[in-house]
Amino acid sequence: MYHYLLSFSKEGDIKFISHLDLMRTFIRALRRAEMPVAYSQGFSPQPRLTFAAPLAVGLEARNEYLDLYMTEAWQNERILQALNGQFPLGLKVKAVHEVELEKSPLSSLINAALYIAILTPDPGDFSEALQNILRAEIIMKVRWDKKGEKTLDIRPFIYHLKIGDSEEGTGKLLMLLATGNKGGARPEEILELLPLPGIKARVYREALFFPDKGRLLTPEGISSEEYMER
Amino acid sequence: MRNDYLSDLLARVRKPGRYLGTEVNSVHKSLEDIKVHLAFAFPDLYEVGMSHLGLKILYALANRLPGVYAERFFTPAADMEEILREENILLFSLESRTPMKNFDMVGFTIQYELSFSTVLNMLDLGGIPLLSEDRNGSDPLIMGGGPGVFNPEPLAPFFDFFVIGDGEEILEAIIRVYEQWKEDGREERRTFLKEISRLPGIYVPSFYEPEYSKGKFTGMKLLEKGIPEVIEKRTVYDLENSFYPDCFLVPFVEVVHDRAALELFRGCSKGCRFCQAGILYRPVRERSVGRLKELAKSIMARTGFEEISLSSLSSSDYSQIENLIDELKNEFDKKDVTFSLPSLRADAFALKQADKLQRKKSGGVTFAPEAGSERLRNVINKKVTEEDILEAANQALHSGRNHIKLYFMIGLPTETEDDLWAIVDLVKKISTIRQPGGRRKPFRITVSASTFVPKPHTPFQWEPQLSMPEIRSHQDLLRKHLRKLRGVEFSWHDPEMSYMEGVFSRGDRRLASVLKRAFLEGSRLDAWNDSFNFPLWEKVFQDEGVDPTYYTRYNPGPEDPLPWDHISTGVSKEFLISEWRKALKAEVTEDCREKGCVGCGLADCSIQAGEVKCTTTF
Ligand code: SF4
Repeated sequence: MYHYLLSFSKEGDIKFISHLDLMRTFIRALRRAEMPVAYSQGFSPQPRLTFAAPLAVGLEARNEYLDLYMTEAWQNERILQALNGQFPLGLKVKAVHEVELEKSPLSSLINAALYIAILTPDPGDFSEALQNILRAEIIMKVRWDKKGEKTLDIRPFIYHLKIGDSEEGTGKLLMLLATGNKGGARPEEILELLPLPGIKARVYREALFFPDKGRLLTPEGISSEEYMER
Repeated sequence: MRNDYLSDLLARVRKPGRYLGTEVNSVHKSLEDIKVHLAFAFPDLYEVGMSHLGLKILYALANRLPGVYAERFFTPAADMEEILREENILLFSLESRTPMKNFDMVGFTIQYELSFSTVLNMLDLGGIPLLSEDRNGSDPLIMGGGPGVFNPEPLAPFFDFFVIGDGEEILEAIIRVYEQWKEDGREERRTFLKEISRLPGIYVPSFYEPEYSKGKFTGMKLLEKGIPEVIEKRTVYDLENSFYPDCFLVPFVEVVHDRAALELFRGCSKGCRFCQAGILYRPVRERSVGRLKELAKSIMARTGFEEISLSSLSSSDYSQIENLIDELKNEFDKKDVTFSLPSLRADAFALKQADKLQRKKSGGVTFAPEAGSERLRNVINKKVTEEDILEAANQALHSGRNHIKLYFMIGLPTETEDDLWAIVDLVKKISTIRQPGGRRKPFRITVSASTFVPKPHTPFQWEPQLSMPEIRSHQDLLRKHLRKLRGVEFSWHDPEMSYMEGVFSRGDRRLASVLKRAFLEGSRLDAWNDSFNFPLWEKVFQDEGVDPTYYTRYNPGPEDPLPWDHISTGVSKEFLISEWRKALKAEVTEDCREKGCVGCGLADCSIQAGEVKCTTTF
C-alpha cells in the first residue's frame, strides 16, 4: 500500500457543498480516474481516504488536505493530473506528496486553521477591537446542536487575530483559530464580536496547521508566523 | 452568464448544493452560439427530479444537437422561493442561471397529479403568464410530457402543447419546427401551434374544446381544420439502437436515487389491471445484453457511481436476466460496483436473481402482492399465488435478509372486508416463518397500504374510488390487526392525498380553474406532507363551485365518452372493456410474452410478430 498527501482547493460556488458531499465527489472522481484506491477491511469496505478538518458549508479554502492510500504506486504528477481531469468546477488538486506508510494520517494531527476575511467596504482601523478580544480572559458564545443550546468559552480557541495588508477599498482580517476534534472557534463567531456594521465579509480558509515542537506548521513546513506576516 | 449575485443567494438557503448546476456531466455552452434554448423543468425538488430517468435521457439527447442548449429547472424549496419572491428574482436555470421566461421552450415532465400546482408555481416564479392564451410573442412555448399527460385535461389551459409518449422519439422534430418558426420571425404563436400539431403525438389543447351536457362530459369539439381527432402516442420501437446516455449527471447532494440507471427494457406485459404504466408503455421493447453491458461500462467510466440500478417496470422479467447478471458480474467483479434490481416480482426466481447481484444478502427485500386474497389478485390480474409469496419470503429470510417489505392496495374494485382480512392472514403467515430447526430469527415486516386510484386508460378507468371515510375505516382495520403481530410495522398513505390524486387522475378541463386558484392561494408541492394543505383545497373547490367527489366517484358506462378519449395509448377500448369485465368475474388474462398475444389492440407490436422471445423464467 502507498500513502499520499494531497493538497487541494475548494473555490467558487462549490463552497456550498457539505463535507459529506465533498467526500462523495472525491470518491466518484477517483473512480472515474480509475485510480487504484485501497479499501478498508471489514464488512463494508470503504475507500481509504481521510480528510483533514471538515470545512463548513459556504467557506472557500485554498489549502486543504487529505490522506489517500493506494494499492499501486503512481507518480505524484500522474495523481494530480488524473484527479484534476475528473473534478467539477472549483475543486483542484494543488500538490501531491508521497508519505511514508507508517506516518499517521495528517487529518488526525491538524489542530489550527488560518481564516482570512476580505471586508468591503474598507472598515478602517479596528485593531482596538481585536486587542480587546485578545486581552479578554473568557469569551462566552452560544451554540446550537442537535441536543439544543449550549454556552461555551471560545477564548482558548483564538490563537491570533490581525489586520492584514489589503487591496484598495477593502479590509483584511487574519484569524488563526483552533480547529479539530479538541474544539475550535468559527470565523463567523469572531466577526460577530467586531464592530463592523454594514460591512460584507468574504471568508476563506487559507491554511491548516499541525503542532510541531511548540510551533504551528503547514504540511509543507511553513509556520503560522510566516503566514501571518505575509 | 453565471452571476455572483445569485451565488450570494445560496448562502442564505438550506442545502445550497442543489442549486449549483455545475455537477459532473452538466452541460455548459456559450449562450451566443445557441439557436434553440430549451428548459427541462421538473415540478418537484431537485432530489426527486434528479432521480428521474426520462429527464436525464432528454437532457443528454437535446444537448447533443448542434445549436441547441438544454438546461434544468427544479422547483425551489420553500426558503429559496421566499427569497425569490421577496427580492423579485425570476426562477433561474441551474446551468447558466437564465430566467425561465428567456427560454425558447420550456418542457415540463409530468409524473404525478400532485405536482400540478407546482407546475403553475414554477411558471409564475419564472415570470411566465399561467394561461397559454395570456402569453405573447416573447414568452416561451410551454410543453408537457411524461406519463401524467395521458390525461392532460386538468392542465390544458396552462400548456401550449403536450407530447404524448416517448419523448426521445420526437424531440428533434419539435426543435426543428421551432427553429423554422423562429427563422420566420416568431410572429403568431398560433402559426407555430398549427405547424406543431401536424406532428404525430402532439396535442395542442387550445384547438380542442370539451363539451358538457347536464354536467357530464359529452365529447371534444375540434376547433381547427386538419387536426387529428385522436392523438396517438409516440413509441420508440427500436430501443436497442435508440439514444441512451452514459454521461449521467452526478449530483453533489444526495438525491433519492443516488445512482445510475440502466434501462433494460421499456413496457411490461404482465397486464395488472390497475396499472397505468403497464398500458402507457406497451409494447415491451428490450435492449440486448451486449448493448447493456457496453452501456454499463461507459456509464461507470463517465460517472463513477457506486451503484447501477437495473431499472424497468418489472426488471426481473427481462427475458435475458440470468445471462445479463452473469455478464455484469464477470465484467465488474473487481470494480466495486453494486447492481440493484429495484422492482421485484414476488417469487423465488426474482429473488434468486437479486441475491446473485448482491454481495451481502442482508437488508431488505420488497414484494408487492397488492391484494391479500387469491380472488382479488385474480381481479387485478396479479398472477402470483400465496405459495409463491410464502416461498419467496421464506427464501429471503433463509438467505440472510432481515426485513421484508410488502405493498398492498386497499379499495380495489370488488374488494370486501374478507379481502382485508386476507392481508392480515398473509402477513401473519409470513411473520411466523421459522428457521430450519424451528428457531425464530428476528426479522421485521413492513406492510404498506396505498389506496387504489383509478387511472385513465386502464381497465379500471370506469371504477369509482373509495370515499375518504371508507379509506379510513379500511386503514383502521388493518392497523388494528397488523399491530398485534410481532415485528410488523404498518404504514399507509395519507387518505387526503389519495383523494386529491383521484380527483385529478380522472379530471377534466373544468378542474383547471380550481388548480389555478389553489395555486394562487398558496398550494404547491402537494405530494409533500409538510406543504400539502387539504383544507385549502377544500375551500377552493367550494369557492369554484366544483364538487371534487364527482371525480373520485365517477363511474361512467363503457359507452360514455371519457375526457381523455382523444389521447390514445394504442390499446383499444374494446380490450380495456373486456379486461374490466373479466376482472369483475375474477378471470385472469395471461402474459402475452409467455402465452401469446391477447389482442390488446396495438397496431405495431413486435411481440405479436414473434420478435421478442421470452425465455422461460421458472
Ligand atoms: S399486441 Fe398482443 S403481444 Fe403486443 S402487447 Fe398487445 S397483447 Fe401483448
